[in-house]
Amino acid sequence: MDANNVKDFLDKVITKAIDSGFEEAESIYKYGAGSAVSIFEGEVSNYENNSEQHIGFMGKLDKQMGSSKTSIVDISSVDYLVNSALDNHKVKNDEDEDFFYCDKENSDLYFNELSDASYKNGFERFRDTGLELEKAILNCDETIKAVDYLQVGYSKTIRILKNSLGLTEHTEGDLLTIGAEARCEKDGVVKTGYHIWYGRDIDEFKIDEFVSELRQRTCSKLGASSISSGIYKVILSQDAFVSLFSSYASSLSAFSIQKGMSLLKDKVNEVVASPLLTIREIPMYDKALLKFPFDNSGVLTYDKDIFKDGKFVQPLYTLKTAHKDNVKPTGNDFGGAEYTNLVLTPGDKNLEELAKEVGEGLYITDLNGLHAGINAVSGDFSLLCEGFLIKDGRIDHPVEQITVAGNYLDLLKNICAIGSDVKNISDGEGEFFCPSVVIKEMNIAGEAD
Amino acid sequence: MYSQREVFFILNDSQICDLINIGLQGKADLAEIYLEHSNNSAVNLLDNRVVGATSSIIEGVGIRLLSGVNQVYVYSNGDDFDELVKLCTEASKAINGDTIHTAEELQKLSSLEVYTPKINPVELSKSDFVSYLRQAGSFALDFDNRIKKVTSSITASNKTYRVCNSRGVNVENRNSRTRMSVAVIAQDESNQQAGGRIAPGTLRGFEFFNEYPLIEKTQKICESAIRMLSSGYAPSGKMPVVIGNGFGGVILHEACVHALEATSVGIKSSCFTDMIGKQIAAPCVTARDNARLEGEWGSYLYDSEGTPSSDLLLIENGILKNYLVDELGSRRMPGFKSTGCARRQNCAFAPTSRMSNTYFTNGKERPEDIIADTEYGLYAADMGGGSVDTATGEFNFAVNEGYMIRNGKICEPVRGATLIGKGPEVLMNIDRIGNDLEHAAGMCGSLSGNVPTNVGQPTIRVSSILVGGRE
Repeated sequence: MDANNVKDFLDKVITKAIDSGFEEAESIYKYGAGSAVSIFEGEVSNYENNSEQHIGFMGKLDKQMGSSKTSIVDISSVDYLVNSALDNHKVKNDEDEDFFYCDKENSDLYFNELSDASYKNGFERFRDTGLELEKAILNCDETIKAVDYLQVGYSKTIRILKNSLGLTEHTEGDLLTIGAEARCEKDGVVKTGYHIWYGRDIDEFKIDEFVSELRQRTCSKLGASSISSGIYKVILSQDAFVSLFSSYASSLSAFSIQKGMSLLKDKVNEVVASPLLTIREIPMYDKALLKFPFDNSGVLTYDKDIFKDGKFVQPLYTLKTAHKDNVKPTGNDFGGAEYTNLVLTPGDKNLEELAKEVGEGLYITDLNGLHAGINAVSGDFSLLCEGFLIKDGRIDHPVEQITVAGNYLDLLKNICAIGSDVKNISDGEGEFFCPSVVIKEMNIAGEAD
Repeated sequence: MYSQREVFFILNDSQICDLINIGLQGKADLAEIYLEHSNNSAVNLLDNRVVGATSSIIEGVGIRLLSGVNQVYVYSNGDDFDELVKLCTEASKAINGDTIHTAEELQKLSSLEVYTPKINPVELSKSDFVSYLRQAGSFALDFDNRIKKVTSSITASNKTYRVCNSRGVNVENRNSRTRMSVAVIAQDESNQQAGGRIAPGTLRGFEFFNEYPLIEKTQKICESAIRMLSSGYAPSGKMPVVIGNGFGGVILHEACVHALEATSVGIKSSCFTDMIGKQIAAPCVTARDNARLEGEWGSYLYDSEGTPSSDLLLIENGILKNYLVDELGSRRMPGFKSTGCARRQNCAFAPTSRMSNTYFTNGKERPEDIIADTEYGLYAADMGGGSVDTATGEFNFAVNEGYMIRNGKICEPVRGATLIGKGPEVLMNIDRIGNDLEHAAGMCGSLSGNVPTNVGQPTIRVSSILVGGRE
């Protein structure tokens, strides 16, 4: 279906909804397509190609919404969508009112992020890139024994929304991803490492850079040992800090705060972190791969600090939560409150200088078990981690089989230095531009005597 | 309930055969068509108010071509047959076989339902879901004024999938899955917070929930959350750990069985590769993956390649007996046949080897004797989730509800503990097995998406495992 046909279809759903008794209505069309080539041992082990579409519907009546969804995009869906939503509406009794939105000045929103270079993508190009990459990984270090996973993929999304208030929102975008997991082995000890590249133009993919990073993430783990339990000064790598921040992202949402389920409830405009911490959301950040001129409810986005000099200054609002707090929505409604591109203000020391400053401590590169080992309500966490010992001010040998435990708010308060080594990591709806972060003290459990 | 179509699937037999034949043109040795239709219903409550209620119908078609160990997979949820022909033609061009194979005639359709529910949950009104959940919510909110929040939900799905392939396989599975969740958050005057959760899932229809001891189970999680309010931090270091029955079985799931899946064994990346017949666990350990447990959350009769599911003995008295093998795995592992374990979240994923209901079998010891014989250690009464690196065997999982054991007695509650280790080592360190096997529902994520699985075990003791705490 082309965009005009989609819009006509959405109009039919909305008209039917209003005729059926809904006061307001909104319908969304989502289309996704993609292809991916997987390489294993010099051959294409898997090739995937797909397309899918869905229609979603929400109708509002007496301050409450009912919703429904189907993958069948034809005229038979109209009755299903509206009647199911009416049924669902009957049981809703949320204490807070649901809202749709339309800014009459910005009622026809369109943003196209499709790459001009997508014509280069295709089975042969993906296959050749994958084969070349596999060979380069296997040849980069004699301890690398296999590439257990290697995939070159492309995805494209289209999202078209219309509502009865007059809003039309249309976005199109695409993304290339190249990911690989390598396995190395030495003296009977096996280690694995993973790296992923995001982009829009396959010509910008640099095999040498990718292989160098993957080799570092894999082979540097060999020779690891555990360490004694104790309190250590810690450098969290960019990946480690972002993964922890992301696990506690729900604490930023106004919904969690209003419902008393956030660590940051009653803490808006209060100091919750070290004064070194400033995190700014820049939806249209020029260095970011993905950009966000408006959110999924039709609200225009804007730059804003989330944390400023250690203060938590800005909860993330949806239409519903903004109305409850009597504030303007913040352009963070992406099906729930979510941030777009974040930038943590960097310091002026690189990793080597940070290690020198730490003297004796630990450099944590990866945190594992985040889906289970964190408590979003209390802030406590206990996680398997990997990294390196810092000895005499230098990053020394790798460590394994250790856990790091603490409380998230204590960690934010204990930030004592921030690096200059900013790296962009996929997070939230976009990317987090984050440097290494030094924590004054953290509890480490290890098995060495 | 509103149904969009009387006929679920968008393809008839003739169109399915056409696609199989097109798929074989590219010299694939197997062409498989997977059709799926699901009708889903869900409600979410917060403090007994209904904050979400939704319905959905999802359909789709997946086409898989295999030539040796090479695979091409395409899928679409559009209803345009010409588009599917185009996708299938592209797929057949991407496969690289030696000869053109001929499709066998489709067998007579076997239409099977793993369990026929007496009360189909998707056909129930949402208000029935809401009334049920409010019983738990009201009880919890009245139980103690320190219980501050109750969230609850029911998700139900009627799913039908049909698998046809060029070997003549023609199987249709129907199942109806329902999962309920109640979670409580307790908070004291010092703002200390703790939670508890139940989340049973079943194939048995809503009659399962009508027989489920909802109030008794809700009371238990409320009591646990309140006890945990006064907990201190768990200690750090290696110590004996007694792991409670039911969801404690996540240790088997993470520490061992993910690494027995052909996904990793087939490419020789697993730490248990080439270990059949060898001792991989303590002699007291026997473990199974049984997809045929009646009405259980992880059960199914035919897998998503159309192969009959099985009750698979994985480990017997510590000896490795079987791997979980799918079609592609069997091609990578000479001498191993498919065990009927190919699963996928939906048609967006090609199938791969997955678990169903995985558990340590019962031993003979009473759980209280295991505790009584432990001088010092951790009692992990309730486990959270975990993860594993199947190549290194390194795993981690979280303890939701923990207590110290001192002089054979369960003592003070502790929080913030994570158990870490290496699968092959921890399996050898299991030294006690109880007689109180229980299964618990969960969702397992892997290459072919999220699938419903049970974990299970009786109470067990691991003689030494690293506890990551803060003291």
